[in-house]
Amino acid sequence: MIKGKKKKIKALVTKVGLDGHDRGAKVVASMLKEAGMEVIYLGMYQMPENIVKAALDEDVDVIGLSYLSGEHLIFTPLIVEEMKKNGLDNVLLVAGGTFPAEDIPIMEEMGIDKVFRAGSLTESFVEYIRDNVKE
Amino acid sequence: MTGKNNASEVNWDDYLKAYYEKPSSFKSWSGYDVKEIYTPEDSPDEKYEEKIADAGEYPFTRGIHANMFRGRLWTKREVVGIGSPADTHERLQYLVEQGGSGLNTIADVTYEMGLDADHPWAVNEVGLTGVNITSIKDMETLTKDIPLDKVSWSLITASTAASVTMAQYIAVAEDAGYQPAALRGSVQNDPIHFRYCGFRPASPLDLSIKLGSDVMEYCTRNLPKWYYTTVNMYDLREQGITAPQEVAFGFGIAMCYIDELIRRGLNIDEFAPRFTFYVSCHMDIFEEVAKIRAARRMWAKLMKEKYGAKDPRSMHFRFAVHTAGCSLIPQQPLNNIVRVAYEGLTAVLAGVQSLHCCSYDEPMCLPSEKAHLQALRTQQILAYETGVTNVADPLGGSYYVESLTDKMEEEVLKVMKRVEDVGGMEEAIRTEWLDHELESEAVERQKELDDGSKLVVGLNIFKEEEEKETPMGVQRVSPQSAKQQIEEVKELKRTRDMSKVRDAIKRIRDEAGEGKNTIPPMMEASRAFATTGEMLGTIRQVFGYSYDPMEIIESPFD
Repeated sequence: MIKGKKKKIKALVTKVGLDGHDRGAKVVASMLKEAGMEVIYLGMYQMPENIVKAALDEDVDVIGLSYLSGEHLIFTPLIVEEMKKNGLDNVLLVAGGTFPAEDIPIMEEMGIDKVFRAGSLTESFVEYIRDNVKE
Repeated sequence: MTGKNNASEVNWDDYLKAYYEKPSSFKSWSGYDVKEIYTPEDSPDEKYEEKIADAGEYPFTRGIHANMFRGRLWTKREVVGIGSPADTHERLQYLVEQGGSGLNTIADVTYEMGLDADHPWAVNEVGLTGVNITSIKDMETLTKDIPLDKVSWSLITASTAASVTMAQYIAVAEDAGYQPAALRGSVQNDPIHFRYCGFRPASPLDLSIKLGSDVMEYCTRNLPKWYYTTVNMYDLREQGITAPQEVAFGFGIAMCYIDELIRRGLNIDEFAPRFTFYVSCHMDIFEEVAKIRAARRMWAKLMKEKYGAKDPRSMHFRFAVHTAGCSLIPQQPLNNIVRVAYEGLTAVLAGVQSLHCCSYDEPMCLPSEKAHLQALRTQQILAYETGVTNVADPLGGSYYVESLTDKMEEEVLKVMKRVEDVGGMEEAIRTEWLDHELESEAVERQKELDDGSKLVVGLNIFKEEEEKETPMGVQRVSPQSAKQQIEEVKELKRTRDMSKVRDAIKRIRDEAGEGKNTIPPMMEASRAFATTGEMLGTIRQVFGYSYDPMEIIESPFD
C-alpha cells in the first residue's frame, strides 16, 4: 500500500441462521457501497463458519452482522469464537438490528466492536467504520 | 430532572425558530404533493352512487357493511407467539381474560421454514420469534381447553407451512369432537409473499401456488366459516414500498391464487366471499385511509368486472390491519405507543375488520406481557372512548380524502400496469423484477431519513441520549422451553409407530404426485405423528426440490 493513499475498505454484510428480515442488511450493503466501500453481501442463512471463511477468503476489514429475531446473544459468541480460532483479530465486528438496550453492553462484552440499532442513520455507521477499521 | 434550572441557559434563538416554524414538507408519506386546501372542485360528487356509494353498497368505497361497527366492533386480535406451544397458550389465555376478542398465533422461523424442532439448523432458533409446531401434539397443547367452535382463531402460524397448519388444526379439532364446518377463523396461507420475508428456500413459486390453493380449495369445500387466506400486503409494505405499491403487489399476488382456483373448476362466488387481506397502517393518516378506501373500490370492480362475480360478498375487500412495525424505533421506545395509537385510529377510520396493534417494544424484543396488554388497551381506548365506532366511514365526503382516494386508485393502477408490462405477477416474481422494486424502495426510505426529507422523532429530529433500560422490561424466550420442545420432538420420533408414519407419508407422496389435494393425506399423516418437516419435505420431493429446504438432512423415507 502506498503511504498516504487510503486503501478501499472491504466490508462483509451478512445474516446468521434462519432469520428472514433482510431489508436492513441489504440497505446497509447499498449504503456502504455508495460510501465507496467494497461490499461482499453474503445474505441470509449463513452459519458462523461460512461467515468467517468468507471473511478470510475475501480479506475483509469489517464484518457487519444483522440480527432481527432475538438471536443476537446466541450467535454472537459463536462468531467471535470462530473469528478468534481463525486469527481474525484485525477485523472490525459490528452488528445492527433490533435489540433491547440492556443487550448492547452484553454484546460489546462478547466482542462486538459497535452495535447500531434499527433506525441508525447512514452517516453514523459509515463514519464509525472509516474511523475504526484496524490496520 | 433533565430540564435546565436557569432560563438564561435556554437557547432562545432556537425557541424563536420553533415558534415560527413551518412544516418542511407538503408531501404524503408515499411522496405525492398535496395542496393547501381541497374544495368541491377536487372531488365533484355527481358520481357518488357509482364511485363512492353508501357503506354496504357497491363499490364499497365506504365500507363493506352498511352499519359498520354498530353491527360488530372490529376483532381485537393481538399476535401471540413465544417459545413453546405451552408458553404461547398461556399468553393467549391472558389476553382473552383481558378482553382480547380474537386469538392470533404466529410461528417461529423454524416452522415457517418447514423445519422440525430437531433440525440441525433449528436448534438455535426454536421459539425465538413465535411458536414452534412440529407435530400434532404441539397443536393439541396450543389449543387445549379452548372451545374451537366458539373462538375465531387466526393462524398466522404459517404461509409456507399453512397446508400443514390447517391439516394439524382440523385433525385436532375433529379428534376433539368439533365439526370442521363449525370452525371459525383464518389462516395466513399466502406462501407466495413469504419468499419476500426470508423464506425463499421453502417457497418455490409453483409449490407456493399449489399448496396455497390446496388450502383454499379444501376450506371452501369443507370449512364454510373459515377465511382460508390473508394475502399479506403488510409484509410487502414493511420492505419499504409505498402505499400504492402495497395494494398493487398485494392484488397481483391475490390474482395468482384466484386464477389457480378458477383453473381447478371453482366458481368465483363459491370461494371469493372468504378471501381476506392483511394491510399495513403507516404514519400518514389520510394517505392510509385513502389507500384502503381505494383498495375496497378497486377490489370490488376487479371481482365484478374481471372475474364476473355476482355475489356482493365476493366483491368485499375484507382486511385485517397490522400497525406498521417498521415505523417504530428503539431509540425513544415509549413514543411508539403514540405512533401505534395513530395507526390504530387510522385502521378504524378506514373500516378495519380485525386489528393487531404493535406493542411499543416491537423494535427491541418480543412483546412483554405488560407491553402486550398495553397494545390491547390502545385498541380498547379506541373502541370505547373515542367515538370512532359510531359512524361508518367518518372521513367520507371530505374533499381531501375523496380526492386522495382517487389519487391512490390512479397510482395503484399505474403500478399494476407496470406489473402487466413485465408479463404479469408470476413473471415479475420469477424474473426478480419485484425484488428489485422492493430493494430500491428500501434504499430510498433510508435516504429520506438520512437527508431529513422524512422526519422521525428520535431518529433524525429531537434526538437525545438513548435510554439504557427497556421501560416495561425485556421479554426473553426461555432457553429451557426451546430445549424441552426439541427433546419432546426427538422423543416422539423415537416412540411413534414408524410403519404408520411410512404408510401416511407414502399416501402424501402418491396423492401429491397425482395432483390431488394434499390436505386430506396430511391430516391422516398428522394423526400418525408425521411431522411438519416430513410432510412438507415429501411434497417438496414430488415437485423436484430437495427434501430439506436448507439441504442439510435427507429424507428418512427414501
